[in-house]
Amino acid sequence: MNMDPQEMIMKSLQEYASDAVVIMETDDHDLVKFSNNRISITKSWQSQEALVFASIQKRNILTSMRDFSEQAIENSVKGIVAFAKNLVPNQEYAGIAAGPFKYRPIQETFDPRIKEMKDKSIDLVEGAIQAALNEGAQRTAGTFEIRSGEIALLTSNGCEGGERGTSAYFSLRALAEKDASGHKVAVSRMISKMDIEEAAKAAGQIAVDAKDPRPGKPGVYDVLFDPLPAANLLENFGNNFCIMNIESGLSCLDGKLGKRAGSPEMTFYDDGTYPNGMSSSKFDAEGVPTRKNVLVENGTIKTFLHNTSTAKRHNTKTTANAGLIAPEPTNLIVEPGKYRKEEMIERIKHGLYITNLWYTRFQNYKTGDFSTIPRDGIFFIRNGRISYPVRNMRISENIMRIMGNIEAVGKVPEQVRGWEVETPVITPPILVKNIRITKPVEGG
Amino acid sequence: MSVAALADFALAYAQKKGAAYAEVRLEQVEGNSFLVKKQNVEASGIDIKSGIGIRFLVNNRLGFVSTNVLDKDSLKRIIDRGASFLLHKTRLREAVSLAGESAHKEVYEVRQKQPLQDIDPKEKVQLLLDADKGIASLHSNVPGRWYSLSTSISKETLLTSEGTRIEATIPRVGGYYIITMKQAGRSYQRSWQFGATAGWEAVSGWHLAERLRAEVKAGLHNLSNAVKAPKGSMDVVVGPEVVGIMCHESVGHPFEADRILGREAAQAGESFITPGMIGSRIGSDVVTVVDDPTEEKGYGYYLFDNEGVKARRKYLIKGGMINEFLHNRQTAASMETKSNGSSRAVDYDKEPIVRMSNTFMLPGEYSEDELIEGVRKGVFMKNFMEWNIDDQRMNQKYVGAEAFLIRNGKLAEPVRNPVLEINTTKLWQCFDAVGKKPEYAAGSCGKGEPMQPIPVWFGGPSARLRRVDMR
Repeated sequence: MNMDPQEMIMKSLQEYASDAVVIMETDDHDLVKFSNNRISITKSWQSQEALVFASIQKRNILTSMRDFSEQAIENSVKGIVAFAKNLVPNQEYAGIAAGPFKYRPIQETFDPRIKEMKDKSIDLVEGAIQAALNEGAQRTAGTFEIRSGEIALLTSNGCEGGERGTSAYFSLRALAEKDASGHKVAVSRMISKMDIEEAAKAAGQIAVDAKDPRPGKPGVYDVLFDPLPAANLLENFGNNFCIMNIESGLSCLDGKLGKRAGSPEMTFYDDGTYPNGMSSSKFDAEGVPTRKNVLVENGTIKTFLHNTSTAKRHNTKTTANAGLIAPEPTNLIVEPGKYRKEEMIERIKHGLYITNLWYTRFQNYKTGDFSTIPRDGIFFIRNGRISYPVRNMRISENIMRIMGNIEAVGKVPEQVRGWEVETPVITPPILVKNIRITKPVEGG
Repeated sequence: MSVAALADFALAYAQKKGAAYAEVRLEQVEGNSFLVKKQNVEASGIDIKSGIGIRFLVNNRLGFVSTNVLDKDSLKRIIDRGASFLLHKTRLREAVSLAGESAHKEVYEVRQKQPLQDIDPKEKVQLLLDADKGIASLHSNVPGRWYSLSTSISKETLLTSEGTRIEATIPRVGGYYIITMKQAGRSYQRSWQFGATAGWEAVSGWHLAERLRAEVKAGLHNLSNAVKAPKGSMDVVVGPEVVGIMCHESVGHPFEADRILGREAAQAGESFITPGMIGSRIGSDVVTVVDDPTEEKGYGYYLFDNEGVKARRKYLIKGGMINEFLHNRQTAASMETKSNGSSRAVDYDKEPIVRMSNTFMLPGEYSEDELIEGVRKGVFMKNFMEWNIDDQRMNQKYVGAEAFLIRNGKLAEPVRNPVLEINTTKLWQCFDAVGKKPEYAAGSCGKGEPMQPIPVWFGGPSARLRRVDMR
């Protein structure tokens, strides 16, 4: 009888391992990178591998395989077993989920148009560059990446599932002058659900509006964060919900379950089933059907993120957030509020409109003290109106204080993923009161 | 067909598809990794990676493809796909030229006194468990303890259509810790990344257990006794760790020629430096910063870069003057110079781009005590946690972790989180004296699309800064 490689790996592992997971992945993707209004390079990848988790007497091992011949599989498994013999057990490990489970399809995760796009992506990039230039930008830089792949999961506890998926990621930074830029991203599982020319246009518009910035002044401001910078902050906040971070002293939410830790305006989910979500999948890495988890409900912390093993030792249930090592977020989502962006600007007497952030770094994950740098268009708001662009500022804050000071949430969400935002975040613009802004002495 | 023969096949096939220039990089990596939380081994990895990356020029258009399916059909398919992108009739393609370079044929291997492949996995993970045990008596005050360690041996073959053939065997060992101390309702966190291009012998030089004990002692002392950080203009002595991150962020990055030329504008950003600034002053006479891939044991060590250019020490700032930028062959052609061997790709599946390697300040003549003795009233910032810098590499912030007041040339009570927030042009002018004992830390430097976190080293000796504004 001919077995497929996944079954062969599993059968071989089960002779030694109490728990095993084999995830077969194939991935094809293409990327167009552009800078100075020219396509700098095009890139194409293909990959195929099996990701393997094996627990042998609580010695938890991760590896990958690319050669699926019978001999290679046998050698790899022998290697895993020999490696395990020399390891120390994970005393806290409590197993993987018992299946089987039924999986429900997730909407808008596969688009045949992306799979077939190939070099037509260059045409879309050309259109986007032109759209930004038409707004008055002088230069553009960015990427357009399209991806298609399949995964198949098999666990030693009876879970078996598979899915195919596609995704597209577009990022464009427009520069109107050296100190005036705008950045937008468009991300989607479906090409029909993204408008890259619109994103390019918006980036171009921000860049033009940001021309001739004045030196910003340190102080305390109410800040309207566009979805791009809001996602940067929210991803960092979302990581605090992972139980492994809490156990390791790397979360400011330790001891706060069931307590208020955010503004009443804030309701925040993790949802692996979100239609068109960049990290949506029918199952997590141990085969549990994904679901929507309420992390924060009107400011109160409702759950942390677990896999089966961490849930057992915390006397709770898995939230279906298993990665191969530790629980991890899927898609982080802010429940939309009722405000248009203009209405939120009108609420600000002395504030800033921030369109991007970068280099978010923590002094202390346990306290949540950090700083981050607004980049691209930053605009001073006075008495409910955008007055002029500013530059050279830094947010020096605490993530819990920011979440507690959310004053208003917009009603139009955008999905964000990118260089600084690895976990997809779906968020509208967010208005936060009393943000502390610092900066070096001007000229110094 | 052997894997090595497949690399030759890929090179020939890319040329057959019209490549005037092609380079093929075959990489096979094997290693182990370990994650430890307190005394618990969370997971252990058998890290195996192999694949081929091909970068090629067709009609002066640049393409990159890669696959980990190592057979002829897959290579043909991916090269065909890459070539089809290069033949697209777009008007917007950048015409790419590469600066001239001699072909090299070299085989080199970093010597390991204690080969990583001979070290029992149990011994590797025990390093972390022992380091954690070293702070055992203080565990109630150190509730957060997270460690990682990885070892790898990378066998890389680079072939180019110009006749270059480099075979390199690069062993690397590295890791990270982040610990959280708690006392009197406050917490204090410290992390450190260590790494070397070497065998297991490098590990003993890190003195991990002793280092952690010292970190904990310093953290608890700070939590119990630290006073509010002073503000205003004062003299500051910074330790090697702070000097290292300054050299990396505020010299290495803005001196990357691809940033200067705008190629990384979308994400990594650009630079306040312009091509015409070579030869102009940026710092005081005592400031000399180099990037040196050939620094033995450095985490960013190599002898030939990923375009086959021979590596050498690059003096980025020499005696306070801007001396040279980091170049690959493409940026060198744009600025009408020669590559200085700064092209790196973190894996076979990444495009080689301009990167730092081991970036550090050259030593001066002073002991750390002498630097401190020269300060009447100021701050000693031994190390840091939080830092960041804007995307033109001008406005930066370093927040001290272990730090002390300096009073009349002597260290006084610890201070809580002193903040140095300063522009690059001011920073390097404030350097007044440089210590004589360099130290180094490892890092994973982020750049590229997709992101390529690449092993780097940075450091230098302690240094004294006059009249900087503490916030």
